Amino acid sequence: MTLPLTIDAITAHYGTTKVLEDLSLSLAEGELVSLLGASGCGKTTTLRLVAGFLQPTSGRITLGSKDLTRLPAHQRDIGLVFQNYALFPHLTVRENVAFGLKQRKVATAERLKRADAMLDRVGLAHLADRLPAALSGGQKQRVALARALVIEPPLLMFDEPLSNLDAKLRVDMRVEIRQLQRANGTTALYVTHDQEEAFSISDRVAIMHQGRIMQLDTPEVLYQRPANAFVANFVGFENLIPLTVSARNGALVTAQTAEGAVLELSQDQLGPIPDRFTLATRPDGLVVTTDPAASGLPATLGLRTYLGRAYQYQAKAGGLSVVANSALSQPLDAGAAVRLTPNPEQCAILQPE
Amino acid sequence: MKRIAGWMLASPATLAITLLLVLPVAATIGMTFGPSDGGPWGIVQPYANFFDSAFQRRVLWRTFEVAGWVTVISLAAGLVTAYVVARCPPWMKSTLVVLAVFPLLTGVVVRSFAWLVLLGRQGMINEFLLWTGMIEAPLSMLYTPGAVIVAMVYIFVPLMVLVLVGVLENIPEDLLQASSSLGAGPVASFVQVTLPLAVPGLIVGAVLVFTASFTSYATPHLLGGSRQMMMGTFLQQRAMVAFDWPGAAVVAAIMLAVIVATVLVMTRLARRLNPMAT
Repeated sequence: MTLPLTIDAITAHYGTTKVLEDLSLSLAEGELVSLLGASGCGKTTTLRLVAGFLQPTSGRITLGSKDLTRLPAHQRDIGLVFQNYALFPHLTVRENVAFGLKQRKVATAERLKRADAMLDRVGLAHLADRLPAALSGGQKQRVALARALVIEPPLLMFDEPLSNLDAKLRVDMRVEIRQLQRANGTTALYVTHDQEEAFSISDRVAIMHQGRIMQLDTPEVLYQRPANAFVANFVGFENLIPLTVSARNGALVTAQTAEGAVLELSQDQLGPIPDRFTLATRPDGLVVTTDPAASGLPATLGLRTYLGRAYQYQAKAGGLSVVANSALSQPLDAGAAVRLTPNPEQCAILQPE
Repeated sequence: MKRIAGWMLASPATLAITLLLVLPVAATIGMTFGPSDGGPWGIVQPYANFFDSAFQRRVLWRTFEVAGWVTVISLAAGLVTAYVVARCPPWMKSTLVVLAVFPLLTGVVVRSFAWLVLLGRQGMINEFLLWTGMIEAPLSMLYTPGAVIVAMVYIFVPLMVLVLVGVLENIPEDLLQASSSLGAGPVASFVQVTLPLAVPGLIVGAVLVFTASFTSYATPHLLGGSRQMMMGTFLQQRAMVAFDWPGAAVVAAIMLAVIVATVLVMTRLARRLNPMAT
């Protein structure tokens, strides 16, 4: 079973502090959407509102045709996976998985059969009689997953499910979560602060900041075409260079910084460029050249750090502080005068806000 | 070196416990055994003598019954109170805990006396009932097991609340959220999650209350009188009125045995309800 989830203009408060403002979000049937952001951005609050652990000040939450907004948590029929697993310590693995079926008054024999079948799917059939305390972190998270899936919920929610696991296991588990979610076709809302995790398993990602969604898009679009400075910064466009167009020649655009440094950009590579815009580049997107005749931003190098594949320089270009990576075999010293040329593949155009 | 330091640090307490607890208890128990030719039961003849008397069997059973009821009622009342307190916002929680513990600041004797004033023939309850016309003659409530039970519950509930608030607070919030997300309503969550996880605390509270009420002296003495004797008052009578020290030692040894047995049974029960409990 699977149903679409609609969050419509939700505002929420903790006491008098507003934590979510007019937030809307729709998940199509079978879609996995991640809420991504730093702690305090409102992603967990959104999940708790959908789960029914918090009440919104205004707005509506619907699952399929069912209005969840005022429904008590235990009537919402949502499978939830918690950050710290939240397994019942006094019940065996099998009883943990069967817990939701017991609440649904499924007969004992039937619910044990279904719990065992689900444990088999997550590869833990041999641990069914253990208590949670005897399991490793990854095994606990698998039990939590089985417990949420066995009730066949129309919506699955994950609250930072992998953040207590070590790095290697995190990658394995996220693949496993994605496979199970795909196989069941269940709509899923996934909360995380880990960008790689969110991008790797989501159909769409909502990047959140201060209780709002800054951009909701596919991982590819977010990564290559951020819509605003916040998202650009979040996905690694560390340099934001404000520019004004001074001349256009077909697809070729000449733009200037406030200090008069001139850059030449191609709309064929970067898409349409408005008259005033911000050029966002990753550190790899600024090519360092020592040739004074080359076009680009004149800059003075500052601190140099070694990344292994390249050197990274903190640099001053007029009034702007920028970061550039350079694979030059000869490291350059602080104070060197260079030109920084944008590499269009690592750049994005931000519309004026 | 470290081990020697460890032994040195532990020695004052070990010495105190050995001198003040282990030796006296051993001496008392030693005193209970009779000569090997003292009767058909050999050296345990004094125990056989104790159980031979219907009166003494009744005292033991009454004590067991009273302590049992006090424990059960305190558990129920304490659990409900602690559940409400644990769910309160922090500022209110501390106020409520202080209020619950307040009666503990007065001595057991004083608090038992309070019930004497309330339950007596000319006590406040009888006066009130007579004034309303609900009864025509004063009820005799004092010197019954009921009076002892009521007063002891009053004395021990604060203790139970203190123990249980701590235990209930330690149950992680997300276990209850997990339970409700899986479809369990408030009652089902309480029965299937909160209660089993509170079992260790319930056992600690039950053992404390059972032990204290089984061995209590002041309350049964004041509110039970000499006709409703319990093991504590009986022990005092044996030792201080009849000067039958070996007899008193037998009473003490039986009380000890009952308490140890009860604790063992309760721990066993706890492990069946919650395999995590020890």
